[in-house]
Amino acid sequence: MKSYLSVFRLRLRMELQYRGAMLGGILCQVFFGLILIALYRTLYASRPQALPLESVVTYVWLQQAFFRMVLSSDDELMDKIRTGGIAYDLCRPVSLYGFYYARIAAMKLTGSAMRAVPMLVFAALLPKGWNIAPPASIPAAALGLCSLTLGLLCVTALENISMGFTMRTLDFRGIRAVMNLLMTLLCGNILPLTLFPDSWQKVITLLPYAQLLDAPIRLYTGQYGMDAAIRVIGLQAGWTLLLILLGTLLWRRNRSRLTVQGG
Amino acid sequence: MSYIEVNDLRKTFVVRKKRARASLFRDKERVEALRGLSFQVGRGELIGYIGPNGAGKSTTIKILSGILTPESGSVLIDGRTPWADRREHVRHIGVVFGQRTQLWWDVPIIDSFSLLRDIYRLPEAAWKRRLDELTDALQLGSLLRTPLRLLSLGQRMKAELCGSLLHEPELLFLDEPSIGLDSVSKLALRQFLQWENRERGTTVMLTTHDMEDIAALCPRVMVLGHGSKLFDGALTDLLSRYDTSRTVTVRFSGKYDLDGLPAGLDVSREGENVIIAYSLRSLPTPVLLERLQRAGEIREMTIQPQNIDHMIADMYREMAL
Repeated sequence: MKSYLSVFRLRLRMELQYRGAMLGGILCQVFFGLILIALYRTLYASRPQALPLESVVTYVWLQQAFFRMVLSSDDELMDKIRTGGIAYDLCRPVSLYGFYYARIAAMKLTGSAMRAVPMLVFAALLPKGWNIAPPASIPAAALGLCSLTLGLLCVTALENISMGFTMRTLDFRGIRAVMNLLMTLLCGNILPLTLFPDSWQKVITLLPYAQLLDAPIRLYTGQYGMDAAIRVIGLQAGWTLLLILLGTLLWRRNRSRLTVQGG
Repeated sequence: MSYIEVNDLRKTFVVRKKRARASLFRDKERVEALRGLSFQVGRGELIGYIGPNGAGKSTTIKILSGILTPESGSVLIDGRTPWADRREHVRHIGVVFGQRTQLWWDVPIIDSFSLLRDIYRLPEAAWKRRLDELTDALQLGSLLRTPLRLLSLGQRMKAELCGSLLHEPELLFLDEPSIGLDSVSKLALRQFLQWENRERGTTVMLTTHDMEDIAALCPRVMVLGHGSKLFDGALTDLLSRYDTSRTVTVRFSGKYDLDGLPAGLDVSREGENVIIAYSLRSLPTPVLLERLQRAGEIREMTIQPQNIDHMIADMYREMAL
């Protein structure tokens, strides 16, 4: 376990070195947040929806703040697989799956935490109608945080599966394009899932993508009661376990048919 | 039973090739990287592993270090099968791939070394002692806090080597460790490997194209070609068959006349120097020297042995590699 924690820690430290990228990311996400909110304000002005505008605004800010968790971004790892640098990782007395899982999780966690904190402060200071609302209650905040952690574990497992496929196709661009499209759409980043038709939402919220940010945000805004909260957290945990299991199997199969690229 | 036992090892890769430019179809071609390779290595040996590009050297190393799984054949290293007992096996081995890096690019190398400490679960004190020992031997001390990306190639290779030896492996695989190193770094690397082998009894298997590395380090050499073993023994034995020519450079004082030399010699002139290349088979050195003394008054003379790279090239050619 210590080795996985250690790679997690090192990755955290590394992320902290890219402060310029962090600033750029924050500016970009703030910009997108403001544009989206302006859009929804116009929409609501002409045709009010069942869902209050305040919760849509809060939804948008939380989505933007944790955007870094959504996209797959460990290019270095992808390159390692493509060029054969993975050979070194195979010479370590660790499980490759766990090793990469820790690495991806660390990257997603620091990347988004470093951006989220300043962004949420900024979003809270905005005038009314543009600002992020505080959590519905203290339990809602706690449940949201717990659910966000599960979401991180779940999306890391999902990304590790696409890494596993990269080992077969050797070109990550196709997989990544598809994954990122599904991800941004079905996790509610492009359009809040709460604005999808109810019948669609029933299906979409069951998918693993919705476990990442949609579930924690709904818990944060108090949209789920206690019963629904337990069910959604159970669903998240279920997906996480299933995806970890699938990923482990995929990586195990990869081991036996491995070719190391580039001599 | 030897420390390393390799028996009838076979590995095939499937290579996909485009049929023609812009064709959508690809042909699959099977490339036999290893065709029934067998050998033994004893504990504490320092063995050189050579062969032309594509001979299967790296494939062997990757199988022996548990990265690749062969089609058939067996490998036992200290009783372990590398690919089956990978996690247990890799605890005892160190690997350096000269053309890749195991250290993290953007962080000081000491951070990468700390990560390795945790990965191999080394006790802090043992790790510290070993790190001091290695940084002393490799003169890395002043570089520990420098990020890897700021190191020169030679410094990086030393850091890589240090990283591969932190967990005190009993077996070390080196896949072209001297690629791109300057002479000083190369000599330092050789010295260090000798020290590690002598002091700690580490078994070393060295793959390289640098024949001077082999000549300086390895009492035993294995030659691989087309996935099979072609030679296994002392380097001098290997070379004696191909060590067939000499070059002599002579400078005469005053006039000289080369007409008395045997016919069929490759004679060239460079300023005052006369350079004669001759084959030992057709012309023993004493005979040539005697003729040269008759040709004029010799002021200076050197005899050069054949370049080791040329010998190896001759050997590869003869073995049709």
